[in-house]
Amino acid sequence: MPDSSEASSSLVTFGRYAGPATLILSSLADGAKHGYALTKDIEQFSGVRLAPGTLYEALSRLEGQGLIEALPSEDRRRPYQLTASGAEALRAHLADQRRVADIGLRRLSRSWGPA
Amino acid sequence: MSAGARRAGRLLRWYPRSWRDRYGEEFTELLLDELASRPRDWRRGADIALHGLLARLASAGLTSREQPAPAGMAAMAGALAVFCTLGAAMLAQLATGWQWASPGSATVTAATVIMTLAAACVAVLGLGAVVPVGWRVLAAFRRRDPRVMRPAAIAAACAAALVTGARHFQNGWPGTGGTGASHHLVPGGMAAFSWASTLSVSSFWAHPALLARFPAAELTWMAVSPAAGIALLVAAAVTVRRLSLPARLVRYLTRLARLTTGSAMIFLCGAVIWLAGERAGAGAGLFRPGLVDGAELLVMGLALTVALRLARTLSRALGRSAAVAGG
Repeated sequence: MPDSSEASSSLVTFGRYAGPATLILSSLADGAKHGYALTKDIEQFSGVRLAPGTLYEALSRLEGQGLIEALPSEDRRRPYQLTASGAEALRAHLADQRRVADIGLRRLSRSWGPA
Repeated sequence: MSAGARRAGRLLRWYPRSWRDRYGEEFTELLLDELASRPRDWRRGADIALHGLLARLASAGLTSREQPAPAGMAAMAGALAVFCTLGAAMLAQLATGWQWASPGSATVTAATVIMTLAAACVAVLGLGAVVPVGWRVLAAFRRRDPRVMRPAAIAAACAAALVTGARHFQNGWPGTGGTGASHHLVPGGMAAFSWASTLSVSSFWAHPALLARFPAAELTWMAVSPAAGIALLVAAAVTVRRLSLPARLVRYLTRLARLTTGSAMIFLCGAVIWLAGERAGAGAGLFRPGLVDGAELLVMGLALTVALRLARTLSRALGRSAAVAGG
């Protein structure tokens, strides 16, 4: 299993696709989904609607890095599922984000009062 | 076929074939669902166009995304071919000038020597690449593989047309009859052939009145030869892509390509010395660089940048494959 900093950095290398990649991995965290199901699920939990080109660019990068894998087609729709290294990368990346969010919220609370 | 399927098919065409082969079916299904839920969304079209074009650049090896080695090699060969065509035109101009008189300028002499030696290196390296690939093409002909035979035959026909045409038009080379000193530097026959094969690289295109006085056959050659050159490049690229080149040969060709880009950089340095030195000096006749030479230098610089980038990407990809193969 890769160490957490290495796993997290694998998402940072996605540049402007880090956001879509995080959303896709988060959506796949509770099971395999195909393209349209991913779009709907991500829109539901984050309010972001990924356009088809952006979605597939991120999917092909994630697949190329071995963070997700394609399953056999079902009725011409191909579901994708998280791999073990994808789960680890997502866990590390979200932990990083939570650490940043915690620091920001703590500082806000100190300087501007509690919410 | 439904209207939605037709629209999805049109949108899918933004992507290169290799991408469509891998993702086409599932992407079409996604588009059909998208079109059904949101029939009109200009941002979706723009997003697909952008990512389709990026995928095309990636498949040609022009972005940092990894590309199949044959596609990257074909793109690199294309960039180097552009460089070599313009370089040959530039060197032919200098060689023609040398036929009549020495330039009387250390700058032009140094530039011509640098450019000639670099061009000789590029020619030897090119030959080193053509021989093993040509051998594989012959093997494909022996086993009668039509996927390789067709583009290879087109490439051979284009090459034959270019050589025949250049051999014919080199009879009108303006260096004929000169008694200058270039015989020691660039053989006259070679200079005449380079001049004739690059007649289309000319500032006369900007002067239609002068161009109209050219013989019809020469004008036709100036228009046809670049088209034949492009057709040769495309056919050769398709041939290479369809050959199953072993990893060892791909590594060898990539190494040759890196050496070629190195020689091309030296050639470019020679050209810069000529242009920078003579713009400020008093070069005469064919030794005085014109606007067309400046434009050529610019395009050669761009082509070389693309080739260098492709060579780096290919080497990195090959390094990664070797690391994976070695565990």
